[in-house]
Amino acid sequence: MNLLVFTKRVPATQEEELRIVDEGRAVDLSKVPFKVNDWDNYAVEEAVRIVEKTSGTVTAISIGDAESDEVLRRAIAMGAKDGFLIEIDQILHDPGARATVIQNFLKKENVPFDAIFTGVQSEDDQFGAMGGILAAKLGLPFVSMVIGIDAFESDHVIARRELEGGLQERVKVMLPCVISIQTGINEPRYVSIMGVRKASKVERKFFKGKEYEDNLNPGIEVVKWVYPARKGGATMLTGEMDGICKDLIGILKEKGVYQ
Amino acid sequence: MSYTLVVAEVRRGVFEERNLDSIGIAALLQKSIVLLMPDGAYEMKGNLVNIAIKATVQEEIFLNPLNFITILEKVMTSRGKPDVIVFTHSSSGAELASYVAGHFDMPLITDVSGFDKETNVFYKSYYSDKIFGEFRQAGSGPCVVTVRSGSFKEHAVEKGPAETVALEDITLAEGRSFIEYVEEEKGEIDITKAEFLLSVGRGIGNKDEIDDYQELAGLLRATLSGSRPVIDKMWLPKAQQVGTSGKTVKPKVYLAMGISGAFQHIAGMKDSDCIIAVNKDPEAPIFQYAHYGVIGDANKLRDKLKDIVKG
Repeated sequence: MNLLVFTKRVPATQEEELRIVDEGRAVDLSKVPFKVNDWDNYAVEEAVRIVEKTSGTVTAISIGDAESDEVLRRAIAMGAKDGFLIEIDQILHDPGARATVIQNFLKKENVPFDAIFTGVQSEDDQFGAMGGILAAKLGLPFVSMVIGIDAFESDHVIARRELEGGLQERVKVMLPCVISIQTGINEPRYVSIMGVRKASKVERKFFKGKEYEDNLNPGIEVVKWVYPARKGGATMLTGEMDGICKDLIGILKEKGVYQ
Repeated sequence: MSYTLVVAEVRRGVFEERNLDSIGIAALLQKSIVLLMPDGAYEMKGNLVNIAIKATVQEEIFLNPLNFITILEKVMTSRGKPDVIVFTHSSSGAELASYVAGHFDMPLITDVSGFDKETNVFYKSYYSDKIFGEFRQAGSGPCVVTVRSGSFKEHAVEKGPAETVALEDITLAEGRSFIEYVEEEKGEIDITKAEFLLSVGRGIGNKDEIDDYQELAGLLRATLSGSRPVIDKMWLPKAQQVGTSGKTVKPKVYLAMGISGAFQHIAGMKDSDCIIAVNKDPEAPIFQYAHYGVIGDANKLRDKLKDIVKG
């Protein structure tokens, strides 16, 4: 079983203050640390668990700048056999354009696979669309929001996908297919710095993105970046911690939930 | 005919409330609105649009991306290509939209929460709602969008009875098939009944902190709940998850500690009477929805609160 997993290097913006620069044409990420996309971490773990139980190999693939080699090393440290980096020197905001590059790459390089794993979405652009677009372009069955894989056989997968309100849908999907993995499906294994260092000895293959740009016509364009519209906002409790806590308890008492 | 195609989501026979946002953006686009839906809840909402097309298949078949392609091909053969195809930004809506965009090579913008009629610009969230991108279609032809729940509901209008058209003879795909719906196991704690929820998120740091929050919840007579990352990491049971994929709650007080406020979480708690948010990041989106806010380390505040309550 050959499983491909797409993994992306994204800015860790959770606790960062982001600034729009260049009159709305760019977001300043120069001081923001980067990390592996959370969803992809679960996707790599799931693919590795499957080949550990059955047989075969996992290949991690990333599309991005040279720094993205970092996420491939991490995937290898988690159990992927090797890693391919499709190097591009521009940010492709259009998920359709990214999928086109990948489609061309898989075809031109004749990469064999039984299933492709992606994260449901990436933390930066939140499109949640790459897996579906790629599957359709390749003419393959697709299942997204997968929160459980109950069986992975030679010709099909039984997967549970997450719906809203705690409901799940169990589906049968024939191989080859594309599967988008939701967070919480597993507990990704811990990877030590030593492990990543060791993984860097495993050869990764680097490909020039320009080779795979046939029919690359972005369907959408960014006009500009803007800050979210501010709503009313909260009344902030400020001052020393003691005072803040007393104010907070006062609110709880006023609302009648604490005496 | 120029028209906007709205793809309805029907789940276990219920016309989902979030479809009103899809119809809302269609109303903003000022085009004739055609609603495409599976059998079942068809009769309910036909009056919100100009034309309702009923695909004569059940929702499980309709919501399968492989079958949906066939259904859409039939619609486009009979009515021509729509200008915009609108889906909800839900599990199924996002799944269908991406597959449609890939199959028909149509541009796609997902998680749209705003639209400017003057400039034809769609607003889309980036970086957990900290920045928004204004996007425009680059070429011509049909464009696919998915719509964030709660963003366009106010534009939905009653239009009177719709023309109804049935879509027959749909050949089903073999690559993916529905087996069953699976209900989540009920937990011991029902967070939907709590008047006071103490909810924790990724910002509390690690699993070891949970016991201290449990103790604080006990002291305050609150019920402990969590946001998605906490449940994903198995720090709390799934039944205690607040959000679109967990539970929707409406307590008197929702005290959110270390929760930044992904929109899926906000959707599950925004109707609480009083929301108090504690977060290190002053830019955290949750402060936009909170009534009271504290900028600071949730764990330090927790310890101080415990000391004060214990006396």
